[in-house]
Amino acid sequence: MLPTIARGSAAARTPLIRFIGKRQWPSRPEAPHPHPFAPPEIKQSFGEFVSKSKSPVPQTQATAPPSKSKSGAQTYEEFWHAPERLWRRNISKAEMDAIYSGGASCA
Amino acid sequence: MLQLQRASQRSSARSVARAARWQAARGYASSSEPYDAIVIGGGPGGYVAAIKAAQLGLRTACIEKRGALGGTCLNVGCIPSKAMLNNSHMYHQAQHDMKRRGIDIDGVSLNLPVMLKAKNDAVSTLTKGIEHLFKQNKVDYIKGTASFVSSTKLSVTLNEGGETEIEGKNIIIATGSEVAPFPGGSIEIDEQQIVSSTGALELQEVPKKMVVIGGGIIGLEMGSVWSRLGAQVTVVEFLGAIGGAGIDEEISKQFQKSLSKQGLKFMLNTKVLSAEKRDGKVFIKTEAAKGGKEEELDADVVLVAVGRRPVTTGLNLDKIGVEVDPKGRIVIDDQFNTSVSNIKCIGDVTFGPMLAHKAEEEGIAAVEYIKSGHGHVNYHAIPSVVYTHPEVAWVGKTEQELKQDGVQYKVGKFPFAANSRAKTNLDTEGQVKFLVEKETDRILGVHIIGPNAGEMIGEAVLAVEYGASSEDVARTTHAHPTLSEAFKEAAMAASGKAIHF
Repeated sequence: MLPTIARGSAAARTPLIRFIGKRQWPSRPEAPHPHPFAPPEIKQSFGEFVSKSKSPVPQTQATAPPSKSKSGAQTYEEFWHAPERLWRRNISKAEMDAIYSGGASCA
Repeated sequence: MLQLQRASQRSSARSVARAARWQAARGYASSSEPYDAIVIGGGPGGYVAAIKAAQLGLRTACIEKRGALGGTCLNVGCIPSKAMLNNSHMYHQAQHDMKRRGIDIDGVSLNLPVMLKAKNDAVSTLTKGIEHLFKQNKVDYIKGTASFVSSTKLSVTLNEGGETEIEGKNIIIATGSEVAPFPGGSIEIDEQQIVSSTGALELQEVPKKMVVIGGGIIGLEMGSVWSRLGAQVTVVEFLGAIGGAGIDEEISKQFQKSLSKQGLKFMLNTKVLSAEKRDGKVFIKTEAAKGGKEEELDADVVLVAVGRRPVTTGLNLDKIGVEVDPKGRIVIDDQFNTSVSNIKCIGDVTFGPMLAHKAEEEGIAAVEYIKSGHGHVNYHAIPSVVYTHPEVAWVGKTEQELKQDGVQYKVGKFPFAANSRAKTNLDTEGQVKFLVEKETDRILGVHIIGPNAGEMIGEAVLAVEYGASSEDVARTTHAHPTLSEAFKEAAMAASGKAIHF
């Protein structure tokens, strides 16, 4: 004996429509694929395209960062490629004055 | 203070040197860090991307050279043409339609300068509105022309004179498209007698005779406007059907019949060879698309509406290595990455249909990819609308495409002539047509011709986006009496039987 509600809902039709709700993305970024409207010749040579766009600096430029220099230290093309702790911080007006006056402004 | 003193004692010399070096590298930029995102182009793709980026917490700038935001769409495209379509429709109704509704209007006449001004007012309020949104969302708006110096640095020639350089961790190219010239270059657009869509929105008097080259959406909309205002319009189309790419054949035929009834003339399968200006008129030579059967048409104004092409001039793309395909489109992957890392591209300047709403979606998705590595554009659910009367709108597959792909499908149709609201409105031309997969009943395409089709297609797009079946729509209550009941009944016809037809 099914209760009325259970019988009712069992008989109800299941819609094909899918309710997705609030989007939850995985933490890892997706891998790129060819654009759906790309012409076939570009779709075919997609691997080549990916390797191009993956290199952080266009191939027309000579340097290939981030790489180890001869001394073994990591080098970066742009400062924001480096970890944030290495970024230059904003200098306040007071600090600037302090620097230019050799510390006299702090006195 | 203590801390600062210690720091300055230790490294004051070094700090000064370092500061000087940064100053030199930064050029004119007043802020110390590069932008998180710079968008080149303030059209519907670019401005939406910029606002979304700012909303997601990225420090954002948008560069636009026109001097007004909104791009082609707002300034010389969708928006002004809709103003002209709406108002010319009202004029036409006042002349030809009001009598049978029991309204006698004497002395209806056209005041074209006022109609053009109403259009311009709509444009200027909307473009200023976007500027306001930029301020609200703290997007830096730079009026000028951008050019790449490196993959992260742009030089901007400012509209007000001078030049500046800005740096961005991510750059989005959204430079859009421009009117494509007539293939072969035999017809030169002067925007007076031989006009593009831009000039067709600015005609200072109604031409007696107008020839429209190209029976796509732009040609039909502008042809409709001037036909309603009194021009004798002939549309010359190379292909065998009107309505442009992606329109269903049956709808296209019905559409052509409707427009012909309104007085537009059509020459299909016809090739335009040349246009010659003579004695204040333009003479257009045509021949059958397959060759032979030459004809000459005369016109006061010729509209060249044969398509649009992407704009990348002056960006310096080859210098930084951004790949462009033979059609001039920037090559991207499905995450809008170009061949240079940190440079993305959206809208008309890359693959896909040249539609404002497609660019908007891409703008948002591109920014989401920057922010989180994930984004979403469903290219199967992008609607197309023609804002003539009746309106035509569609989303998804056509019957021809389904046949070509060998998909088993069912058709559900409902005419507006059987819809109560359309009857009361005395506006019953057209139908709704559903195409559903035979086995699953899933909606594959919806094609509407009729009153309010452009608004109604929204429901179809939602259904396609979420994989609804025609029964899902048919079992959803639609208010009575509304035009949307025709939509529901077409769904009923696809999944079973319509009630009122």
